[in-house]
Amino acid sequence: MDNNRKHKAEDPEPLAPVGKMSRRTMVAGTVVTVAVSAILPLSSSAFAEVFDQDMMAFLVLSAALTGVDIPTLAPEFSRGSGDILSADPGIDPINVKNAYLDWIKINDARSSFPKLLQIAKDNRLSQNDIIAKVNASDVDTKSLARSIVLLWYLGSWYDPDVLKTAAASPGSVKGPLPQKVVSGKTYSQGLVWQIAGAHPMGYSNLQFGYWSRDPHDPNIVDIFSPAKFPL
Amino acid sequence: MASNPDVVIVGSGFAGSFIANELINLSRANKRNITVVILEAGPDVQPNFNAYVKSFYEAGVKVPESPYPPAVKDSKDKDFINPKDVAAGRPSSRTVGGSKKPGDTKPPTWQDTNQAYLDQSTSKRPFKSTYERLAGGTSHWMGLTPRLVPKDFRMKSEYVDNQPQSKNKELARDLQNFVDWPISYEDIRPFYQDAEAELGVSANVDDQRFPGIDNTFPDNYEYPMPRIPPSLFDKRVSEALEQLDAKDTQFLGMKHAPTSLAVRSLPAARNSRPYRKRRACAGNTSCIPICPIQAKYDPTITLNKATENGAILRHHTVASEIMVENGQVNGIKFLTYSQENGPPTGGGVIKASVYVIAANGIETPRLLLMSKNNETPKGVANSSDMVGRNLMDHPQYLSWGLLPEPVFPYRGPLVTSAIGELCDGLFRSKRAAFRVSLGNEGWTAVVGGTGGDPNVTTLDFVNGINVSGVNKTNFTGLGGDNQALFGSQLTQTLGHLISRQFRIAFPIEQNPDPNNRVTLSSAVDALGLPRPNINYDISEYTKQGFAAAYQLKKLLFGKLGATEFTSVPDGDPAAFKIDGIPETFTYGGAGHVMGTYRMGKDPKASVVDDMQCSHDHKNLYLVGSGTFPTVGTANPTLTLCALALRTAKDIVEKLPSLKS
Repeated sequence: MDNNRKHKAEDPEPLAPVGKMSRRTMVAGTVVTVAVSAILPLSSSAFAEVFDQDMMAFLVLSAALTGVDIPTLAPEFSRGSGDILSADPGIDPINVKNAYLDWIKINDARSSFPKLLQIAKDNRLSQNDIIAKVNASDVDTKSLARSIVLLWYLGSWYDPDVLKTAAASPGSVKGPLPQKVVSGKTYSQGLVWQIAGAHPMGYSNLQFGYWSRDPHDPNIVDIFSPAKFPL
Repeated sequence: MASNPDVVIVGSGFAGSFIANELINLSRANKRNITVVILEAGPDVQPNFNAYVKSFYEAGVKVPESPYPPAVKDSKDKDFINPKDVAAGRPSSRTVGGSKKPGDTKPPTWQDTNQAYLDQSTSKRPFKSTYERLAGGTSHWMGLTPRLVPKDFRMKSEYVDNQPQSKNKELARDLQNFVDWPISYEDIRPFYQDAEAELGVSANVDDQRFPGIDNTFPDNYEYPMPRIPPSLFDKRVSEALEQLDAKDTQFLGMKHAPTSLAVRSLPAARNSRPYRKRRACAGNTSCIPICPIQAKYDPTITLNKATENGAILRHHTVASEIMVENGQVNGIKFLTYSQENGPPTGGGVIKASVYVIAANGIETPRLLLMSKNNETPKGVANSSDMVGRNLMDHPQYLSWGLLPEPVFPYRGPLVTSAIGELCDGLFRSKRAAFRVSLGNEGWTAVVGGTGGDPNVTTLDFVNGINVSGVNKTNFTGLGGDNQALFGSQLTQTLGHLISRQFRIAFPIEQNPDPNNRVTLSSAVDALGLPRPNINYDISEYTKQGFAAAYQLKKLLFGKLGATEFTSVPDGDPAAFKIDGIPETFTYGGAGHVMGTYRMGKDPKASVVDDMQCSHDHKNLYLVGSGTFPTVGTANPTLTLCALALRTAKDIVEKLPSLKS
């Protein structure tokens, strides 16, 4: 993948080559250095940090919009002690966050994603502010925000333009909107079933007879609680 | 082939696989060697079952056919592939609806042969049930295996003969169409037991003893495995129906108005223990269309046993004509293909001593009707003109809503329990019977069309629309209608709504009607063969069954304290009204395709005898649920499997005299 192209959209400064400190990383400053010098998994090299800022912003955005906390969205997330944007999103075996981030960048026809990432960065201390700013943004940006929530909840992509048209005249929508399942993996990681106390249909890690018992038992991860925010 | 096989079977679904396997079992037991060749229109058993599971995960709309080939829509999932470009097509759940709006030049989807496999252009109402055409047949089944009850086999003598003629002309005509089976429950009982063993049925026998209905099991009967445990919803309904007023259940027309209704575990071919090297159910909640761990039985299990023991499966092989000479079948013509879109790559004729057509209730009559020649001008096995007639389903009356407290659907098998004891009674001389099926799958099969939820409800609250009907302030307590939410407000709203979803379905009996039939269309498939044409309608007798189900629904919803969200889409081609009832009704298909080459004693009024052998051709057997003269209210799979075993025994006995 062309790394230059990936960053052009959201980073007005030239991309810092590997190993050199750019103005951007210096702004984050000593906090970043402290995080790097701690014993960290391989993914938290200086090379990775420049890219992961996008991922962290995406996770901060997603947590606010979905109401699901970052450790659930990114199971190997490591908070660290500094700015949330410099935390380590981690690499987990399933890695839907990367699948979604890549997908959004490819399918963001109206270049709304940088605006959303900026809202997340600027308001990273308050989920309510992120939500308020997204609701107040232009209709394309807001529609993409909804597409992102639906990615996390269902593993499916609903195009922002489709959502925009439907939302403009709600009474005209009579059936399910067109969608594309991103992959079998993302379908199996859809969050809405867990929010409802269940699991995606066709994907159960549970044992015989569990359906006869109340779901609040150790087999089920309970994320049905307000997102815990780091700062 | 060095020499002709003893038996050729067309179709490797439930009936075909059962017969192939049983012929080989019986021949070994008798120290003979019966050779079997199976012709299968679709692809072979997959080396890796997970390929189908992956297709299911990736399907945008999770309808029953979604894991299985052939593809129904183009690669962008945008347009339907024209069925004339599919070699071995089959109906799709996505082409059973559609309405004609003013100014439309094209017919609605269900009647548009450029989109729908079945030609229903002249049908009054859509036939909504579908099937598969590949090794294992209709593996997308639910897995439920109740038996018919004794009086289901003698509808005419019990409920029509010696009854006063109904004043309602339509009802009188419907009742006159009833016939008795040429066999009784007692004749089929030992085969029910053997079929339950092969399928691996989990049930408790006490759950099958319905009050007031003949005791159909010996006292010490044991199913192969114990019952599947009930879901939380089953328990909720059970509590709600423990105490009823007789005056509130009078309308059912039972001998004694029930003062309680029992919710009982349904028998199911779903392992409750490890059984024959397959795991116990882990509650994947995707029985329809596919069990990722094969805890639900599917016919590839029996088919593989047959082929491991010498049966030969010829896949991508479509029977195109049955040849008859001097009253005997003397060969089956077939076409082969390799791509889903055809064209034919070859063909031939296969000859045997005995021929078995096990291609399902629509494809079997299609083949028989395609086989016209001087000896059989109306098609093979059709001197009675009954081939293709009396097509029956169990039209499903669907209702759904929200319970006051969470019940956590989307967990466990799709259906675990039902109310079965209303399936028989004196009322059957006036209206159709039904069972009550409790769904654990929330609204997934009912809201916004098929394969809908939780996508539909989630979309409603993310995007501020209201396809589900729930996004209204008086249900949600939110600031207004059509709310669009983010964050914890979204999780809490969805969590609280989805966890309260339920659906209840009433599969309703249909009476035979010779005008409900399968004929041939002028539309063809990619092999050049004429596709099935369907004419279908719902009778007065069945509508009266809907009326009683409607009353029971109101009672159930009231006892549950539920809020109803049942709705009928605008312009639904299946919609109908019943005199005296304000609600508009519609139906879903149960996936049961029955009646189209029925068994009977009289060759003028039936197609096969009680061994499922054609009256016209002594070396031809027609099997599957197409032989059912009446349908009762039980899912047909167990009964058709039992009959298949009985037929296999007959074939073994008759084979020496039929060997050419």
